[in-house]
Amino acid sequence: METIQPSDEPESLFRPGPDTPIQFCDGLGLKRLIRAGLVWLERHQAAINSLNVYPVPDGDTGTNMLLTMQSAYREIQDSPEEEVGIIAHKVAHGALMGARGNSGVILSQIFRGFARPLDGVKAFDTVLFASALREAAATAYKAVIKPVEGTILTVIRQAAEAAVSAAASSQDLRYVLAQVVHEAREAVARTPTLLHVLAEAGVVDAGGQGLFIILEGMLRYARGERLTLDTELAAAMDLQTAHLGQEGGYGYDVQFVIHGEGLNVEEIRATISSLGECALVVGDSRVVKVHVHTPEPGTPINYGASLGSLSRVIVENMQEQYQDFILSKAQAPAAPAEPLSEIGTVVVAPGPGLARVFQSLGANAVVSGGQTMNPSTEDLLKAVESVPRNDIIILPNNKNIVLAARQAQTMTGKKVEVVPTITVPQGIAALLALNYQADLATNARVMAAAARTIQTAEITTAVRSVQINGIHVREGESIGLVNGELKVKGGSPEQVVKAALEEMGAGDAEIITLYYGESVTADQAQALAEELERLYPDQEIELVDGGQPHYQYILSAE
Amino acid sequence: MEAIGSGKIEVSPTAIASLAGQAVLECYGVVGMASKDLARGLVEILQPASHRRGVEVHLDNDQITIDLYVVLEYGTRLITVARNIQSGVKYAVERALGVPVTAVNVHIQDLRVSSD
Repeated sequence: METIQPSDEPESLFRPGPDTPIQFCDGLGLKRLIRAGLVWLERHQAAINSLNVYPVPDGDTGTNMLLTMQSAYREIQDSPEEEVGIIAHKVAHGALMGARGNSGVILSQIFRGFARPLDGVKAFDTVLFASALREAAATAYKAVIKPVEGTILTVIRQAAEAAVSAAASSQDLRYVLAQVVHEAREAVARTPTLLHVLAEAGVVDAGGQGLFIILEGMLRYARGERLTLDTELAAAMDLQTAHLGQEGGYGYDVQFVIHGEGLNVEEIRATISSLGECALVVGDSRVVKVHVHTPEPGTPINYGASLGSLSRVIVENMQEQYQDFILSKAQAPAAPAEPLSEIGTVVVAPGPGLARVFQSLGANAVVSGGQTMNPSTEDLLKAVESVPRNDIIILPNNKNIVLAARQAQTMTGKKVEVVPTITVPQGIAALLALNYQADLATNARVMAAAARTIQTAEITTAVRSVQINGIHVREGESIGLVNGELKVKGGSPEQVVKAALEEMGAGDAEIITLYYGESVTADQAQALAEELERLYPDQEIELVDGGQPHYQYILSAE
Repeated sequence: MEAIGSGKIEVSPTAIASLAGQAVLECYGVVGMASKDLARGLVEILQPASHRRGVEVHLDNDQITIDLYVVLEYGTRLITVARNIQSGVKYAVERALGVPVTAVNVHIQDLRVSSD
């Protein structure tokens, strides 16, 4: 049982264990959730912009939502307030003041509605959270005569419904948020069936996707993921905050050069400094360059003109500069426009060589692990979350990791399928069968089928004496596991390789692949490969530096 | 309005008003249309059925100007909502007719306060 609360270090995130329920969220917790939503949105801004076709296809939905969220977060950024009701109202106010575009106005209404049931509330539980979301949806619907379905409106309504039903059975905010995110994703995916222009353009609704991303960022935070603001963006926000604080609004950036006789630089500097901020006055008695930020551009210019003649007068609106900066950031490559429909893959690989093999085949994340070094569920979960795809396939590539992979599957808001590959070659065969055009379920089926067609043998050294399958093995002997079962043994790994290949019926295969481990030199492996070429003249022999520990060789025949 | 091939296609201001009226009802933040007639000293919130009211279309040398008399939701950022109306209505009319709209003027006649 925990409360979402900040720790002493301002940027650090609370990290309750994944199984610890979060019962309450106070103002500081909400503040961090808002921030996480903002950060995640910032990262997906460009992708959201590219979806924007309704109501006007001007490609700015992501940017508009981001600017609105920034305005909301600025309102609470430096607030030590612990009461969630007050923070919620501040967020609503900030979003209102900074609302940009249609999606921004709707988002501000969502926050407005969200804040309503939280009046005077110190911390919300799941039931209040669900009510707040329901009120957010209701408020969002109120401000339009003809609500258009298949937009952000549909997404907030269905997400709120998911919250209500989840809150009825759970007191864990993280669980409820996960259900909200799950439903939001589904609702976004359904938008093209509700709004024809989306289907025509082959996209989902941009505003709905933006809302989903904000919620997903919050969930990631609640799960203990560290989401950091892009430093440049953070700096820009700080800059803007400073101006807001000191001038009560944006000012003008005024620059000019005064030409005259007997100019008093000190006096000019003092006067200019009193007229604005960031005053910079340099020069000599004949030429003085002035630079100042001021809410009234006329005043310093008039003052300068009274001293001499002016040249190079530049007046710039700093709000426009800031917007341009934000927009230029929107176009920067830093925010990758990730395709949303693709399937991501997370694979487990023992050894750097095999990791490279998987990467070269397009695996999005490779988790190091295998026999006797099984990755934890958390390692797998992290890898799943790190891949910027909504649909993920996990290839555990080891019998002992399948369970952890299935646990990770239940702990993420993403759609995850585990293809239960139990050896590395099976994983490779499965990955090769991945079809980016097909959906997740189809791929899981096709990949599992592909994995089954492959014969695998793993060659290792027995660590104790044992009798399995009628085979007596003494400690230190080389053994061969064919498709996971102990089948052959011998005095040397190379002998066992040959025995295992016979057991696998390699004579009927087309390709035999030999992945050699970290304890085998390239020369040893090469010699073995050449011997195999003589033994299997009709087969193609491939030799791969797998670098895996424990297994001298991993073989596949297909 | 626009000569195409051998014939002529003419769109009446009423038709344009219908298009604009439909579009404005979908604009977020618009909770009603108002009669322009303020002389009566009241702003009438019109039912959606009479959506052409509150919309005025002027055609002058193929220049289309649309005036919208709207009631907006209190508590939204009005300037942003008004801009969204301008771009949303302009886009909808231009897409339907294929001719440029010169101006969309938004007149905020009243605000509706939803119960908090």
